[in-house]
Amino acid sequence: MLIFESQRAARGQTRKLLFAFALTVALLVLAVNAALALVWGLGWGLWSPMGGGLPRHFYAVNTGVTLLFVLGGWWLETSRLAGGGVALARQMGARELRPSGDFDEQRFGNIVHEMAIASGLKPPQAMVMARQSGINAFATGWDEDDAVIAVTQGALEHLTREELQGLVAHEFSHIREGDTRLNMRLIGMVFGLEMVFRFGQRIWDPDIRDRTTVAALLGLAIMAAGWLGWVAGHALQAAVSRQREYLADARAVQWTRSQDGLGGVLRKVLGTQTDAEEARQVGSPMQHLLLVSTEGDRVAHWLDSHPTLEQRIRRIYGRPMGPLPLARSDGEARPLATDTFAPAPATPARGPRGADWTLS
Amino acid sequence: MGAMTWVLLAVGLLAVFWAVGAYNRLVRLKNAIANAFGQIDVQLKRRYDLIPNLVEVARKYLAHEAQTLEAVIAARNQARSAEQTAAGSPLNAGALGALAGAEQMLGGALGRLFAVAEAYPDLKADQTMRELSEELSSTENRIGFARQAYNDHVLEFNDAAAQFPTLIVARLFNFQTQAMLESTTSEAERAPVKVTF
Repeated sequence: MLIFESQRAARGQTRKLLFAFALTVALLVLAVNAALALVWGLGWGLWSPMGGGLPRHFYAVNTGVTLLFVLGGWWLETSRLAGGGVALARQMGARELRPSGDFDEQRFGNIVHEMAIASGLKPPQAMVMARQSGINAFATGWDEDDAVIAVTQGALEHLTREELQGLVAHEFSHIREGDTRLNMRLIGMVFGLEMVFRFGQRIWDPDIRDRTTVAALLGLAIMAAGWLGWVAGHALQAAVSRQREYLADARAVQWTRSQDGLGGVLRKVLGTQTDAEEARQVGSPMQHLLLVSTEGDRVAHWLDSHPTLEQRIRRIYGRPMGPLPLARSDGEARPLATDTFAPAPATPARGPRGADWTLS
Repeated sequence: MGAMTWVLLAVGLLAVFWAVGAYNRLVRLKNAIANAFGQIDVQLKRRYDLIPNLVEVARKYLAHEAQTLEAVIAARNQARSAEQTAAGSPLNAGALGALAGAEQMLGGALGRLFAVAEAYPDLKADQTMRELSEELSSTENRIGFARQAYNDHVLEFNDAAAQFPTLIVARLFNFQTQAMLESTTSEAERAPVKVTF
């Protein structure tokens, strides 16, 4: 049936992903070798005009070290994820739901059970990111038995029941389509691809006594080459997750039979400005897990892990819609716990790309 | 034996294999309907268990509305006995119809209770009442989604049993098409009872 078809499709995508990853690693190895050879050559050229050849095993060592970094980073991160969805969610600062005593958490737990019936899946573990006051959520896990859905405290406090239902339905779609599994694989790859860049950065950065050594030049070369891996990692993330966000949005509307659920969530996020500090709490290799991306100043659109909020809202409603204030229409509007959120002005001042949040 | 006999034998065997496969598929689909009814049943029971608690909490504040409260309890008891009959024979159209009628009455009685409760702010502010109402809303939603799933399974079975050539097997073994749950045929009825607290 449909669920098996989409899981087969997801497996096919995993193969494509592994291929793209292998290709990127090969390119990265080439780039590191070329950059180091260039710097070495320039260095020798300035020092002794006679010119000296490259040291023995130059390319073998460069290639070996690069592979060690990338594959080692990938392996390390992946083995850290072996703990499964709950372990990863804990790393991201989520804790298990405590439904007794707290009305909002009771409601969230109930909604997760409702959407499990609507989607025909087992109820996943519900978790809360208690220290996050923005509106966001993610789903993760290797498979249906391991699945986790986590929402921020802000989402619990500022969303109506209908909106929270839309948000949970969106995350259920990610579990059902096998996106969460794909994303678990991606995290390790992106981490590995960023390793070379970070290593170069370490060497380039001046040491404690603020001296810049000759080695720094080598660091700069490694950084430049490693940047390729960084960009490729993020491009991979973006390519995988962007289309899936539209699908998940459509599923959320289908399952809840309401545009105003998820639509309201996106419009509320549009109406808030996020605190830059809070956005940094989620590491960049995990960006693509979230309901809305928290990375603002992006270089280019094709690096975005999520389509813009405006695009998503337009697809849900069929026309552009303005932002919503944070009040809960069920008469539950509460004072904002922190001043991270300014109440949305009637016409919020927004940059060309909208708010910092880009619902993914 | 001639080659002709062998061919006929092979064709006959193939037909038998196919018929066994088609029969098994119909049985599987029919069992899925019974299972889907079980899902609704679980939620209905959950609701019947919640309602008396809700009425007890409301009684403290609604001393003058005894009639409304009693109506809810009576409707709940009636729905519960209809549910027990239907659970005994899940694919019986008559029992399902009676259950649908009783459920509609219960929905109406609950709606009146919540309308009355609007005038009692103390009741609306009661912590236990809020939690019970949330449980009830959630149960209403679950029933709605489970009904949807039930109808999807009925549709799948009916399609399979009505299509040629499976139709032959269905007729032969007297598989009857199943009725959908009627109260989900119109958009207005599909909406859950509005619980406003």
